[in-house]
Amino acid sequence: MSIFVKLASFFKINLFNKIVNFLIIIGAIIKREFIITYRNFFNILTIVIFFILGIFIFVFATGPDIKEYKEIIIGIIWTLLLFSSAISIDKFYQDDFNDGSIIVFYISSISLEFYVIIKIIISWFFWQLPFFIVIPIISLFLDINIIKLKLLLLSFLIGSPILTMLSSISSSMNLLNDKNTVIGNLIVIILSIPVIIFGVGIINASPEIINPQLNILLGILLLFIAITPWISASCIKIGLRNS
Amino acid sequence: MSPGNGIQIIGRNGIGKTTLIKILSSILYPSTGEIFWKGKNIHKNLDKFFYDLSVIMDLNTGKKDLTIIENINFWKSLFSSSITEKEIDSILDLLNLQYLKNTKVKYLSFGEKRKLEISRLVIERKTLWIFDEPFLGLDKNSMDIFIETIKNHLKDNGMIIFASHHNIEVPNLNLIDLEN
Repeated sequence: MSIFVKLASFFKINLFNKIVNFLIIIGAIIKREFIITYRNFFNILTIVIFFILGIFIFVFATGPDIKEYKEIIIGIIWTLLLFSSAISIDKFYQDDFNDGSIIVFYISSISLEFYVIIKIIISWFFWQLPFFIVIPIISLFLDINIIKLKLLLLSFLIGSPILTMLSSISSSMNLLNDKNTVIGNLIVIILSIPVIIFGVGIINASPEIINPQLNILLGILLLFIAITPWISASCIKIGLRNS
Repeated sequence: MSPGNGIQIIGRNGIGKTTLIKILSSILYPSTGEIFWKGKNIHKNLDKFFYDLSVIMDLNTGKKDLTIIENINFWKSLFSSSITEKEIDSILDLLNLQYLKNTKVKYLSFGEKRKLEISRLVIERKTLWIFDEPFLGLDKNSMDIFIETIKNHLKDNGMIIFASHHNIEVPNLNLIDLEN
């Protein structure tokens, strides 16, 4: 009986130590990414300014007809969110790949898939979350009503992680190809077309088809959650072998 | 390889030293042959192999926006190292990096970045050290310290494989010339 008790306590301690170690590693990676991104905060600010300026340029370009621009403004906002996301993709894995940090992750006790997941969460936090502050402010200038604003934020809440995961995939694919990195941006733009269609569709749709469109957007999100870590990690591994 | 032994790979430029180092570190797959660690194929037991492995390539993995101590603390956590703060301080003292402890890596010279990279070996505390051109950019004093560290590691039954053009005097070190 005492052997079983000893075994149980041994496994409990082992499991407990493993969980603690794992949490320490997660904490260390998050802290590292947080400090690096915080010290390069100007890059995020640049993307946000690009987004704001882009919207105003579109508004000026459509002319003084308020009715006309009100019909297309949600599409413009989503398009600029997509472009802002595409611009930031180089920041994903390239630095870690160039300085060999990815090799350190590769030989550490955490898997590359897990490294990708943490990178996606941190990137979403830093590169997409600021837009949740900027969009309501922009809406005031553009006279977007509160119902549309709520739907826009809801669709962006579901759509922005998809854009981040698309950026992850294309950025990891760029590691396989050091000559033409524009291809990564093209992949983001092409694959994000469904996100744009349903993201904009939700806001302009009649109330009875909002829920089905939201469900489709959620479905796309779940699909990307399921495939992105494995696709990105595989591309990184192949990139390491090719380098 | 047996514990306490090392291998130095030599050969002219382009003969495949770095490729061999990458294959031995499991970054590349060998087109023929297999590599065994503790009797098991490394590609089928990567976790166990990586548990014992430290790799230093010709890159400086210290993040340029982090300070020396932030990088060290990150490696310490990532590899669940038992190294104490006192030991970290003594390594930094030995490598003459103590006064740069809170300096961002991007402001360090190439030699200082290499010294930081080498400190990773001691921080990770693994059995098998594999490195490519480890003496690149090191001054005479740092090279002596590094060679001494290698000797101590072999004395503690550690193992070392490295590719370098430098001839170093270390007991139990076997040479493999890729040209012969």
